[in-house]
Amino acid sequence: MVTRSATPTTVDAVNPQRRLRNLMLSLGAAALGVLVLYLLDGLGSSKLTQALALFAIWGIATVSLNLINGTLGILSLGHHGFMLIGGYTTGLLTLSEASRQNIVNSGRSTMTDGTLALSVTNLFNTLGLTGLTTPETEWVRFVVAVLIGGLVAAVVGLIVGFPSLRLRGDYLAIVTFGFGEVIRLSASTRIFSPITNGALGFAGVNGSFGKSVWWTFGFLALTVFVISKIKYSSYGRAMQAIREDEVAAEAMGVNLAYHKVLGFVISALFAGIAGGLWVSWLAGVRLEYFLFQLTFFFLVAISAGGTGSITGVLLGTALVVFVRQYGDPLEETYSLQTWLYLAAAVMALASVGAFALRHFRRIRPRFHLSVLVPAVLAVVGVIVASLDPAFLDGTFRGFGMRAIFLSVLLIVIMVFRPEGIVGRTEFSWGRLFGDDRSQPTEEERRQDAWLSNPALNPGAAGPLTSATGTDPSTPSREGSA
Amino acid sequence: MASLGSTRRSRRWLPYVVVGGLLLLIVLRMFYLMSLEGRFNGAFFLRALIDSVKLGSLYALIALGYTMVYGIIRLINFAHGEVFMVGAFVTYFLFTVTPYGWVSALFLAMVLAFGVNRLVALFRASPRDPLTWAATAVSFVALFFLLQAGTWPFWAALIGSMLATGVLGVAIERITYQPLRTAPRNSLLITAIAVSALLQNLGLLTLTNRQTPFRPPTALLDPIQLPIDGLVVQTNGLFFAIPLLTVVLVLVLHNFVRRTRLGRAMRAAAQDAETAQMMGVSVNKVISTTFFIGSVLAAAGGALWGLNFGSLNQPAVLGILPGIKAFAAAVIGGIGSLPGAVIGAVIIGFSESFLTALFPRTGDFQGITEYKDTFAFILLIVVLLIKPSGIVGEDLSEKV
Amino acid sequence: MALLEVKNLSKSFGGLMATRDVTFEVGEGEIVSIIGPNGAGKSTLFNLITGVYRPDVGEVTFEGKSLVGLKPNQIVDRGVARTFQNLRLFTNMTVLENVLVSQHHRQRTTLLSSILRLPGYRRQERAARELAAEKLEFFGPRLLSFRLNQPVLVLSYANRRRTEMARAMATGAKLLLLDEPSAGMNPKETVEITQIIRRMRDEGGYTIVLVEHKMNLVGEISDRVIVLDYGVKIAEGAYRQVVDDPKVIEAYLGKRDDRDAPDARDLTNGSAP
Repeated sequence: MVTRSATPTTVDAVNPQRRLRNLMLSLGAAALGVLVLYLLDGLGSSKLTQALALFAIWGIATVSLNLINGTLGILSLGHHGFMLIGGYTTGLLTLSEASRQNIVNSGRSTMTDGTLALSVTNLFNTLGLTGLTTPETEWVRFVVAVLIGGLVAAVVGLIVGFPSLRLRGDYLAIVTFGFGEVIRLSASTRIFSPITNGALGFAGVNGSFGKSVWWTFGFLALTVFVISKIKYSSYGRAMQAIREDEVAAEAMGVNLAYHKVLGFVISALFAGIAGGLWVSWLAGVRLEYFLFQLTFFFLVAISAGGTGSITGVLLGTALVVFVRQYGDPLEETYSLQTWLYLAAAVMALASVGAFALRHFRRIRPRFHLSVLVPAVLAVVGVIVASLDPAFLDGTFRGFGMRAIFLSVLLIVIMVFRPEGIVGRTEFSWGRLFGDDRSQPTEEERRQDAWLSNPALNPGAAGPLTSATGTDPSTPSREGSA
Repeated sequence: MASLGSTRRSRRWLPYVVVGGLLLLIVLRMFYLMSLEGRFNGAFFLRALIDSVKLGSLYALIALGYTMVYGIIRLINFAHGEVFMVGAFVTYFLFTVTPYGWVSALFLAMVLAFGVNRLVALFRASPRDPLTWAATAVSFVALFFLLQAGTWPFWAALIGSMLATGVLGVAIERITYQPLRTAPRNSLLITAIAVSALLQNLGLLTLTNRQTPFRPPTALLDPIQLPIDGLVVQTNGLFFAIPLLTVVLVLVLHNFVRRTRLGRAMRAAAQDAETAQMMGVSVNKVISTTFFIGSVLAAAGGALWGLNFGSLNQPAVLGILPGIKAFAAAVIGGIGSLPGAVIGAVIIGFSESFLTALFPRTGDFQGITEYKDTFAFILLIVVLLIKPSGIVGEDLSEKV
Repeated sequence: MALLEVKNLSKSFGGLMATRDVTFEVGEGEIVSIIGPNGAGKSTLFNLITGVYRPDVGEVTFEGKSLVGLKPNQIVDRGVARTFQNLRLFTNMTVLENVLVSQHHRQRTTLLSSILRLPGYRRQERAARELAAEKLEFFGPRLLSFRLNQPVLVLSYANRRRTEMARAMATGAKLLLLDEPSAGMNPKETVEITQIIRRMRDEGGYTIVLVEHKMNLVGEISDRVIVLDYGVKIAEGAYRQVVDDPKVIEAYLGKRDDRDAPDARDLTNGSAP
């Protein structure tokens, strides 16, 4: 009979003492985090705080995207569409009176009096909450606007979720991509331009919230909390089961439709929230802020970090945000000679990387073409560059180098380490303390061997003999453990 | 192959009724417009028809690549739209920047000679065939000098681009898709997206968004007058050249797939790659060939697209739109099917040009041009939801 | 009224009749085996009962209520669960997680309660883990302790089969459809699984329908045996009866004439020895 309760495998502990320990540790870590943020906010440059805020905002988007891509296993390519909806909603609802006036004055606006009147301020006034319409309570209005943006996006997520019931894999990915693009393209058409102001968008969105480390990390913490709780709950397991084997999941009672749509709705909700924060960070709303390129960056983030864990996703997001914010040197104008040196350096790096990969994975031959060709190219490049021949005169601007770098990175990761840097490992206190054993003790190993081959250990008796009544005289073959 | 769910008896007459009905509606609408305003005359519709024919052919060239790749490895090659873009670019560079200096000429000659190698290898039994090597060597030397000789005429740039882009397609497959042959589906798709993004950004890098006119000196652009209804419609040689070239290429492809050993191998691999491999078919070679051919066709499409619209930016060769519409065409026609791709392309091309002509700006009505692109996506989504197997369609379900 | 009633069940794919007019009953607490040569439609039958396929003709009734037209997960709610011939575990999830997933459909707490980890949810989780351990314990201690937290992909084949059976049991179903539970097991493991299946019925109270090829297993535990061939039921009854039934022998081994051992004539090319 079982003498001890089964050890938990999820991030949460079931054992109350462990729960308390985890809670204390988490609170401690949170306090530490708050301290670090406070220091960075005070001492760091505005560029740093902006980058941190962007990390948080995009973190909300990537963590929510990973609920579908990683947990449910559905490749969804329309995330930018949800962010657009959230962003436009929040932007419109929080636009200041002055900005609204500007729109009217511009003469080219496609908005109506009705749509221009949509604001949280007006909403509060109608509800009689005039106390919340003061400049001091602007944060309340902003939060409400962001949440409304999330809800609207969630409703659209409901619609986008339905195709997932009929389609799989590649086709579903294309449909989500299609939805994302349809949302973006139709935002400028006649039907929606009264709300979106067409190609003009809104200028003058309050940027103080989006660029604030506190607000953005606050929302990020909320997102990570909700999504990790879902992922490591019964619902999350059901979603993972859908990812692993949909047919088997259904055969085990999992309602596919419900869980898929649920995933889309929650993901869209947080994407909408991220969109609202994003337009605040940008201090404006324009269609160009919601291109597919955004989803592409998110894909790089989650693939590079590791789709299996939220920790990995955030790591990947940090990487992508870093490249975006600090990658300007890549996009400068340099002489062709410098570019050639750079290219040679990349080739050399590739060569070394290929060699290291082959060495550690014990793939022979080690000096394969994939190692030699880049090495040769690197050497040739360096030689040619140092000679400074005539055809290398001139300069070249690295337009879009950041995106090129990220695309190459994604390709390299997909080919060599598709599970991402972190892989499946989720950070948890339990893992740190070795709560869940997945390796046998010596005693267990011996027991196990006996179970499969009584001839090995005729003296030792185990709990299984009486249950199955195996005849020890039957010829035993090597069995399984 | 077992399919989940019951099989319903197909109503044979349904497609004919639908098509007939649509045609009737179109004709009625045409008459209505003609009675409305003088400018909606025969010439107006002829121009729209010309555009449809050209557009349909161009989409067909791109759609074939999508459908072939999907038929064999069940991958939606996201990067194909960008391969099309590269085709246009390379053509452009081959007729504007030529003559090249010896360094670039060396590099380009290598790439193009490799393309010749791949092309000849399509028809030869063994990869080590002496004829193939001879052809490669000869073409390398010839190209090295030709690239430095002088400006290339359009037709030469077209062929060169087809070869070079074919090589690109093969390279992409080799480097990025082949290692992931056994990986989960999503990884492969993400990689395709990454390649697509890479190529797009490389394109941006090259052109940096400036306006790039695509006007090589060629007789194809000389104006031709078409009389209709007492009026005259101005067009150029492209009205004949584009569909003609498309038809020629499609026929060549069709015969290749039907008659040659490699073509048979491709069809076998598309049906059942594992068994084909056991029958001695080199699946790697087949896949490589598929990408080569698809890219060659896409390059032709790109070159002609540039020629047709006179610029690489308007409508943007850069960007996913032509690729997505061609993909929609492949899906509508039935992905995996070659005639399906052509049929789908004709439908998309026709609806894009002719439909916008059917609902033009009249008085208060502002026309539907701004919905053109949205319409392509919506059509794609609707087809995928209602009948993913498309018009010709094969049903790919899972056996439990 | 029998627990499961299958009446005139028929299903064809294109031109092929996979199941033709199959009728049988399973009473509560019975262990019924379905045997038949390969391609006889046994797995199709399971698919039809569990809602993966929709029958063209016929009825499937469980506890008096029809299962036809329901989705597979709804059928699990009604109390019927299955295992798969080719094993369909959630490979990247742990043993414990696999057995927990099948309990999800019975859980009554809301999503919000899960997110906030309210006491109701926690209680449910604890109970679920205990149930999982209880079901896994049918197979001895080998799937408990450290194996609980191992991803299924590192498990041996036999252990995977056991996990899948435990997973099916954990759905809370009354009727289990086991598709070749001993496939890939060696004789010792087969004996063990035979005992376990009997214990499942005796101690666990499950009604079990098995598809099997190993006759010693079938003979050992079946109350009744049903034989299918080319989608048609050709025999039904106790094991001893069915095994001697000429129709059954013919289905497996072919007609008498084809089966003859080569006699001396064949060996010497027609001339007498």
